[in-house]
Amino acid sequence: MPGSDIDLLAIDRGTVSAPAGCGKTHLIAEALTRHASPKPILVLTHTNAGVAALRGRLDYAGVPPKAYRLSTIDGWAMRLIATFPARSAHDPALLELANPAVDYPKIRVAAINLLKAGHVSDVLGASYARLIVDEYQDCSIRQHTAVAYAAQTLPLCVLGDPMQAIFGFGADILAKWREQVCAHFPLAGELDTPWRWINAGAEALGNWLLDARGRLLRGESVDLRAAPPAVSWVELDGTEDHQRRLAAARVRPPNESGCVLIIGDSTNPESQRQFASQTPGATTVEAVDLKDLVSFARTFDLTAPDALERLAQFAQRVMSNVGAADLVRRVDSLMRGTARRPPSHVEEAAVAFLRAPSHRAAVDVLVEIGKEGGVRTHRPAVLRACIKALQLCDSAGGVSLHDAAIRMREQNRLLGRPLPRRAVGSTLLLKGLEAEVAVILNADGLDRRNLYVAMTRGSHALTVCSRTPVLNPSM
Amino acid sequence: MSRIRKLEIAHFRSIRQLAWCPSDGINCLIGPGDSGKSSILDAIDLCLGARRNIQFTDADFHRLDVGTPISISVTLGELDDGLKNLETYGMFVRGFYADSGLIEDEPEKDAETVLTVRLTVGSDLEPSWSLISARAEAQGLERNLSWGDRVRLAPTRIGVMADFHLSWRRGSVLNRVSDERADASAALAKAARDARAAFGDEVQDQLGATLGIVATTAKELGIPIGDNIKAMLDAHSVSFSGGTISLHDAEGIPLRGLGIGSARLLIAGLQRKAATRATIILIDELEHGLEPHRIIRLLGSLGAKETPPPLQVFVTTHSPVALQELAGNQLFVTRSGAEEHDVLKVGTANDIQSTIRKYPDAFLAPSVIVYEGASEVGLVRGLDQYRAANGYDAITAQGTALLDCGGGDADMPFKRASAFRALGYRAAVVRDDDKKPTAGVEAAFIAIGGTVVAWREGRALEDELFLSLTDDAVDKLIDRAIELHGEELVNEHIKSASQNGKDLNAIRMEALIEGVTTESRQILGRAARSRKAGWFKSVTWMEAVARDVVGPDLESAEVGFRALVEKAFAWTSNAGQ
Repeated sequence: MPGSDIDLLAIDRGTVSAPAGCGKTHLIAEALTRHASPKPILVLTHTNAGVAALRGRLDYAGVPPKAYRLSTIDGWAMRLIATFPARSAHDPALLELANPAVDYPKIRVAAINLLKAGHVSDVLGASYARLIVDEYQDCSIRQHTAVAYAAQTLPLCVLGDPMQAIFGFGADILAKWREQVCAHFPLAGELDTPWRWINAGAEALGNWLLDARGRLLRGESVDLRAAPPAVSWVELDGTEDHQRRLAAARVRPPNESGCVLIIGDSTNPESQRQFASQTPGATTVEAVDLKDLVSFARTFDLTAPDALERLAQFAQRVMSNVGAADLVRRVDSLMRGTARRPPSHVEEAAVAFLRAPSHRAAVDVLVEIGKEGGVRTHRPAVLRACIKALQLCDSAGGVSLHDAAIRMREQNRLLGRPLPRRAVGSTLLLKGLEAEVAVILNADGLDRRNLYVAMTRGSHALTVCSRTPVLNPSM
Repeated sequence: MSRIRKLEIAHFRSIRQLAWCPSDGINCLIGPGDSGKSSILDAIDLCLGARRNIQFTDADFHRLDVGTPISISVTLGELDDGLKNLETYGMFVRGFYADSGLIEDEPEKDAETVLTVRLTVGSDLEPSWSLISARAEAQGLERNLSWGDRVRLAPTRIGVMADFHLSWRRGSVLNRVSDERADASAALAKAARDARAAFGDEVQDQLGATLGIVATTAKELGIPIGDNIKAMLDAHSVSFSGGTISLHDAEGIPLRGLGIGSARLLIAGLQRKAATRATIILIDELEHGLEPHRIIRLLGSLGAKETPPPLQVFVTTHSPVALQELAGNQLFVTRSGAEEHDVLKVGTANDIQSTIRKYPDAFLAPSVIVYEGASEVGLVRGLDQYRAANGYDAITAQGTALLDCGGGDADMPFKRASAFRALGYRAAVVRDDDKKPTAGVEAAFIAIGGTVVAWREGRALEDELFLSLTDDAVDKLIDRAIELHGEELVNEHIKSASQNGKDLNAIRMEALIEGVTTESRQILGRAARSRKAGWFKSVTWMEAVARDVVGPDLESAEVGFRALVEKAFAWTSNAGQ
C-alpha cells in the first residue's frame, strides 16, 4: 500500500478524518515504524477488543513494540489516577468498577482534573513522545476533555470518522465531531483512497461507498440501483422475508478463505442467534459481557436435581439440533433401568454426570453433545468460555463457577475475537471487523451511521436486504 | 543529569539524624574532625553506588546499636526522562519544593519531579535499596531503580587512592566517558594460547625425567595416555580479570604509577567529560597529594566557577586554599549536635565571605578566638607557649583558631566572630577597651552564645600589662622595649606620655627605691602603645613578651588581670566540649 501524504508525526494538534477502509491503521503503523525517539508514542483507543485488534495489526505490520504504548482511554485514565491518588483525589473504590455505568464517568472526571491541574505534565512529557487517539468518533465528552488536557503536554493527533460513531456511553454522551472535536483539534487531513477495496480488486465498490458516505453525511438517500455489480439488493416484501434473508445469508465468499459478515438486528440478539443456527457454517459474534454464560454459571448447581436439565438447556442455546428435553427423558429411563435402547455416548456421559456430579463430568456432557451427529455449535465463544470455566473450577479448588465464568469473560475481553468464517452479529458487534462479503439483513432498521458501518464491512461484495432499493435512513 | 536534592541519614556511624538539602554545584564540607563529613560522603556512595554486595558491620550503626536500622535516603532531582517514566517509576515520583526543602508524595505543578532512593540496613547487616513513596507502600508495591539506572546514577568516588579509575573496571570513570568497550577476549585468548605453546616447548627438557617416570608408570598400570606426554601451561590458569586493560603513558608505564595528585586531577577531569551521564562526584580530602595551584586547578575542572554548575560535587577538605577559592555558597560546615547533625551553608553574606577569604584556616577549627589586634594574638600565643612548656595542652591542640582583626574598627571583631558563631563555631572576642564597640554590638554577640574577654575600663593590653604585673616584670618589659627600640626612643615615649613629667631614668630609679607607682605604670602603659610605634605591637614582639615575661609573672600578677587571662584560656580548653 503506497504511503499517504499525511504525516501523523508532523501533526502537533489535529484531527485526521478517516472513512472506513481508507488505510487509517496503515497510516498509524507507518508513523509508529518511522518514530525513532527513545520515548514511545502513546496510542489510545476505546475498547479492549479494539486494543487487541490494533495490536495484532501493528504486530502484523512489523511495528517495533518499543515504539508505542497501546491502551484504552479508560484503562489509561485508571492507571493515571491510580498512580497519583492524592492529586486526583478520587474515591479509591472507583477503581474496583463495582458499578461501571457510574464509575467510568467518575474515573474520567478524576483524570480530567489531574491532567488539567498540570501536576503530571512533567511525568507525561518524560514518558511519551506524543499521543495518538484512534476511533475518536467514539469518544465521550469526558474522554475528549481528558485527551484535550493531555494535549497541553503532548503533541496530539486524533483519527476517526464521525460516520462510524455508533457507540453510546450512557450518561456520558459522545463528543460532537464538528463542534467539539474539530474545534479543539483542527482538521489536519482526510483520507480519501478506498485502499481496502482497491486491494481486494473492487475499487468500484470502494468508490461507491465513499460516495454513499458523502450522501449519508449530507442526509441524502442512497440508491442501490446505481451501485456497481458487487452490490446486490434483496427485496423484502413481507411475504417470505425470513426465507429470503436466509438465502442471502448463505452467499458464497469470493474464495476459499473468504469470510462473510451477516449483520442482523442489534436490538434482537435472539434473532441473530436464530440466523446463526439456521445458516450452515455460521456462528455468532458475542457481546463481551457473555450474559448467557454468566447467568448459567450463577444458577448452575452440580447437586441440584435439575442440574442435568439446566446443562442440556445451556447446550441447546449454544448448539443447534440439540434436544434437551429428550436427553433428560432418556437419561431418566436409563437411570431407572427401563430403557430398551443402549445409551449413546452423550447419554453415557449424562448418566456419569448424574451418578457422580462434577465440573469435569459436566464438561464431558457438553463435549459429547457437540460430537453428536447433526449437532453444530453456532455460539462457540459462549460454549468455549463455559467449558474453560468448568475446567477452571475442576482444577482450582474453591473457585465457584460464577467466579470462574467472570474470570473467563474478563480474559475474553482482553483477547479480542477471532473472526469466524461466517459470522452473525450487529453493527455494534461487528464494527472494526472486516470480511470479504457483508450481508445486511434489514437495512430499513439502520440509521445512517449504522448503515454506513454495515455497508463497509465487506471488501468484495455487499448484499442489502430492504423494502426499497432507495435507502433513506434516519439521521 | 540527576542531582541530589535532599539527603536524609539516620543512625549511620556518628550521625544520629541528618537532613540536608545540598546545592547544585560544589558542596565543600568543612568542620572539625568527627563531625561526620566522611560519613556523609560514604552515605551518598552507599545509597547511590551500583554495588551488589556491601559488607556492613555493627560499627556502621550509630553507637553500635544494631536494634535501630540504618536508613539513608537520597532524593534525586533534575531527572532525565527515563527516570520520570510513568510506567516504570510512576508510582514513585514525588514533588520537591526547593524553597522549603519539603517533599510531597506526588508530583505537583510547581514542584520538581524527584525520586527518593532509600538504603536500609537492619540487624542482619543485609543492605536493601528501594524507591520510596507513601502510595506505593500503601499498595504494598516495592521496587528499586533498575540496575541500568543505578549504574548510570552511581556517583564517581575519588578516594585517597585513585588507581581504580585508571583501568576499565566496572564503574570506573573510563567506562563513563563514552560507550566504547574493548573486546579483548579474542586477543587475550590468543595470547593465552601462545603463552601455553611457548611454555610447553621450553620446559619439556627441564622436566624430562619426571615426564619419563609418569609415562612409564602409566604404561605399567595400563592407563592409555600415550608415550609422548607433555608439561604445558594449564589453559585455565592463564586468566585475565577485570581491570586487565588499563591506561599507560607513552612509555608504556601504567598510569597508576602517577603521583596521587596527578591521578586524582586526571580522574576529576575525566568525570567532568562524563557529566552528561553521571553528574555526582565524591572526593575525599580534596587537597590530598595536590599543591595549592593544583587544588585551584582541580576546583576549576570541577566547575567551581561555572553557572550552571556542570557537576554536583561532594568534597571534604582541610585546605585553606580550597576555602579561599570557593564562594560561601559552596562551603558547608558540618556540626554534630546531641540529637541531630547539621550541615550549615556558610553563605555569601559580606561579613562571612570576607572572613573566609581572609581567615580560611579559622573555618577549619571548632573554636575561634577573634582578637582586636596583633598584640592580643601575640599575648595569647606567647602565653600558650609558656603554658605548653609547663605541661598544659596547647591551644591549637584544643582546636582553637586565633584570628587577628588587625586593629581598626572596634566592631569588626564582633562581625567576624558572629559570622563564625552563626555557623555553629564556638566564638570568643578578646578586645581592648580604649576604643569601645558600638552600643549593643557586644550584647548581641553574647546573646547568640559568644564569649567576650575585654580589658578593663578604658584600658588597652599595654595598660593592663603595666598596671597588673609585678615590678620585676615591669622592669623586664622596659628592658625588652629598650632592646627592641633603643633607650632613646623609649625615653622619648615616656616623656611624651607623661608630658615631660617623667623620663626613663626617673621611673627606673623609682622602681629601685619604692616600687613602680601606679602613676608611672599608667605612663608606661600609654608610652608602650604610642601610635604607630607601639613597643610590642607585633605578633612576634608580644609573643616573646608574653612567653618570657607575662607567663612567668602571671602567678603573682594583679588578680583582675589574671582572671581575664584565665577566662580566655579556660574558654579554649573547653573547645572540644
